[in-house]
Amino acid sequence: MSEKRTINFSVPYYLWLVLFVIAPVILLVFQSFTNLHGQFTLANYKTYFGSGTYLRMTFNSVFFALVVTLITLVISYPMALIMSRLKHAQFWLMLVILPTWVNLLLKAYAFIGLFAQKGTINDFLTFIGVGPQQMMFTNGAFLTVAAYIEIPFMIMPIFNSLVEMDQSLVNAARDLGATKWQTLWRVIVPLSMNGVRAGVQAVFIPTLSLFMITRLIGGNRVITLGTAIEEHFMVTQNWGMGSTIGVVLIVAMAITMYVTRDRKRGGKA
Amino acid sequence: MTQPIIEFKNVAMQYGDTTVLKSIDLEIEQGKFYTLLGSSGSGKTTILRLMAGFLTPTSGDIYFKGQRINDVPPEKRQINTVFQNYALFPNMNVYENVSFGMVLKGKKKSDIKAKVSEMLALVKLSGYEDREISELSGGQQQRVAIARALANEPEVLVLDEPLSALDYKLRKTMQYELRDIQQRLGITFVFVTHDQEEALAMSDWIFVMNDGKILQNGTPVDIYDEPINHYVAEFIGESNIIPGVMRQDYVVSFAGKEFENVDAGMRPNEPVEVVLRPEDLDLVDVADGKLTVTIDDESFRGDYYEITAHDDDQNPWQIQATNSATIGKRYGLYFDPEDIHIMRLNESEEDFDARLEQYEDEEDADNE
Amino acid sequence: MKKLKPSYLYLAFVFALMYLPIFYLMFYSFNAGSYMNGFAGFSLKHYATLFSDYRLMGILANTFIIALLSGLFATLIGTFGALAIYRTRRIGLKNTLLSLNNILIVSPDVIIGASFLILFTLIGLKLGFFSVLLAHIAFSIPIVVLMVLPRLNEMNPALIDAAHDLGATDFQVLSRVILPYAWPGILAGFFMAITYSLDDFAVTFFVTGNGFSTLSIEIYSRARQGIDLSVNALSTLMFLVSLVLVGVYYYISLRTNNGSKKKRQMRTAVR
Repeated sequence: MSEKRTINFSVPYYLWLVLFVIAPVILLVFQSFTNLHGQFTLANYKTYFGSGTYLRMTFNSVFFALVVTLITLVISYPMALIMSRLKHAQFWLMLVILPTWVNLLLKAYAFIGLFAQKGTINDFLTFIGVGPQQMMFTNGAFLTVAAYIEIPFMIMPIFNSLVEMDQSLVNAARDLGATKWQTLWRVIVPLSMNGVRAGVQAVFIPTLSLFMITRLIGGNRVITLGTAIEEHFMVTQNWGMGSTIGVVLIVAMAITMYVTRDRKRGGKA
Repeated sequence: MTQPIIEFKNVAMQYGDTTVLKSIDLEIEQGKFYTLLGSSGSGKTTILRLMAGFLTPTSGDIYFKGQRINDVPPEKRQINTVFQNYALFPNMNVYENVSFGMVLKGKKKSDIKAKVSEMLALVKLSGYEDREISELSGGQQQRVAIARALANEPEVLVLDEPLSALDYKLRKTMQYELRDIQQRLGITFVFVTHDQEEALAMSDWIFVMNDGKILQNGTPVDIYDEPINHYVAEFIGESNIIPGVMRQDYVVSFAGKEFENVDAGMRPNEPVEVVLRPEDLDLVDVADGKLTVTIDDESFRGDYYEITAHDDDQNPWQIQATNSATIGKRYGLYFDPEDIHIMRLNESEEDFDARLEQYEDEEDADNE
Repeated sequence: MKKLKPSYLYLAFVFALMYLPIFYLMFYSFNAGSYMNGFAGFSLKHYATLFSDYRLMGILANTFIIALLSGLFATLIGTFGALAIYRTRRIGLKNTLLSLNNILIVSPDVIIGASFLILFTLIGLKLGFFSVLLAHIAFSIPIVVLMVLPRLNEMNPALIDAAHDLGATDFQVLSRVILPYAWPGILAGFFMAITYSLDDFAVTFFVTGNGFSTLSIEIYSRARQGIDLSVNALSTLMFLVSLVLVGVYYYISLRTNNGSKKKRQMRTAVR
């Protein structure tokens, strides 16, 4: 009896599901099979898999995303671990989240100032006698900025998994004779793997598709799938090819999510 | 006989392949305190939800004052519920909770106010109108839940394990108060619990349930003294249950001896189960006892000693005694013939009632 | 005195890394010079430039109108979406709905932007205010659902039974019990939607067309042309706006958490 009325109010939601969730995905796949004149073709996929450029670009994008993920993980895990032990842990977590509320472009923009030929870092390098370096439009600059932006998204899930962990398990490990490091390695790290997986997911996928950072910091080179899609849709107007790369990105995303899925052991993980 | 206020006829309930109720028949009369007693999963809460209208039976009929109400939604039934975890609206204060039903009915503001005061007084919470639910203790929340349900002036109040979240002492107090409220208002209460002590203390009539069936129903005294089978005997109070043989009417043999008892109507030499309640047993000198037992252990329970012992056939015994006993010592065990209760194996409730009536008639005939 | 542990040093170091670029940016917005180095003295001249830039003020207004409207619509639609999912009994269907709901959250922005661009072009919608608004509503709806649904799941389902039991109709149960209970989640969803809208660049970039611009788009085009300290001034102001929003958001969630914490204490006290 109560079902009917909710359905009435929920019609816009179902409409949204069809129009803005299901339809766009279908349209994107459909578009990837069309050429510049809107005719059906497999040419886009042939081009993608046939030319070394696209495959190299895809490999680069995956490689860069992996490096960024690794950098953020190495910085974030100890950070989350330390934070989870602090008294006002939730306050520190808020401090981690706060920068994510600052517009991403502004953060990138800050690095333009830092990395510029006459920027603050070069001023410093000149001051200590090293001399100015070319930093803008290098791979290193892209990696730095991308890692900077993604760090909070890695800390948050790891922190949550650490905080949720039953503290008596750690005590039990110590009680049974494990040293601090053994406890960390054999109990804490395995138990926080779900957080790590969630963090990897939250960093890897967006990094594959970052395009404004590559444009602003990495120079006008196409080094991520995101940049390639933007290039085809907004610059060369080859929507078919852009959609093909979009489909590749979706597949990459699906693979990442499968690899980093929640692995629950037995009943409750 | 007066018309029952609620009647279940052949009511069954299934979820997919799982049967939770198997063909239930029951009658609830006006103005009494009923208890549905059973362990979790026995189907007692399902019966309650069927009464309140949150469930519709898979088959069978439910009547309210003679009218079939299978498809009447809960908001249209003159039955209100006190929920297990009270289900008080956390976004409303005490007054708003208690007045909720009356506000929906569009009653006059002054009437509502008077009724809320009356109800809060009934549950001894006068002056708590403006409290937030989160500021109340468990016992107080319980009282608000009762006041809220009663404010709707139901003919039947159903209570779903309302005391299970309270501590022991508070539970005792609330048992008295609930009974008192029921008697003062004179409406029907249907109470669900898994606590046999609670059921015995409060009810006019108990339904003992297991596995979607009503095993036995009767007054607390009936059910305690004459449990129909092993399950009921175990569930209601502590019991010593010993295999025995009914030699002939009024003679039963167990633990290697024959005893006089008060049961009859069985085949000669029929195997039976013998029930003796721990509080009916007395420890006496070996010479005065009907059986001899050796004490294994004893624990102090405040108002009595819980003693475990074994007889010479190695049957275990539980005894409640006011005096302490010496562990390892041999005592005599004494009980009266009427303390011995006989249960036939696999006897249904109808057969049990029929047999009881039959030999009671015989007894009456004998006495004449 | 307590010894400064290396772990605290590490903590301080990472926090410094996270905040330095932001404060660096804000610091130079007060520079009398026109570059992000060599602080030439305190000045508010970049703020003056900012506020006298009518085009930019128009863009600012656009951005907030889009954020508020999209937040409002997304909250309305998303709340009823969450209710629909909450009331779905069949586990399979429920999980399917949830997965579909989350697609836009896990999808990369570029994919959302590109596919919406195809959609809008196909149905012949002119790119501009409405296409941006629709896109923002669309990507905010699942966020609202994710904020409201846990609140609903947390609700004791017996509350609904209790309301019916006391004579409430379906509509009264919704308006008097369910919505008031879910209200903190709905508010949180609304604020999250606004923040996502204010923050979005990638999706807007694809569906905005030529005539219409939001703040993110404007910053992007200015940043591509190099340093412009009025962007620093703008970012300082936006950081303050974010702070206020974060404050409001935390206030709401704190209040909600306190409520449930009290309840939890109550429950343990009862046992």
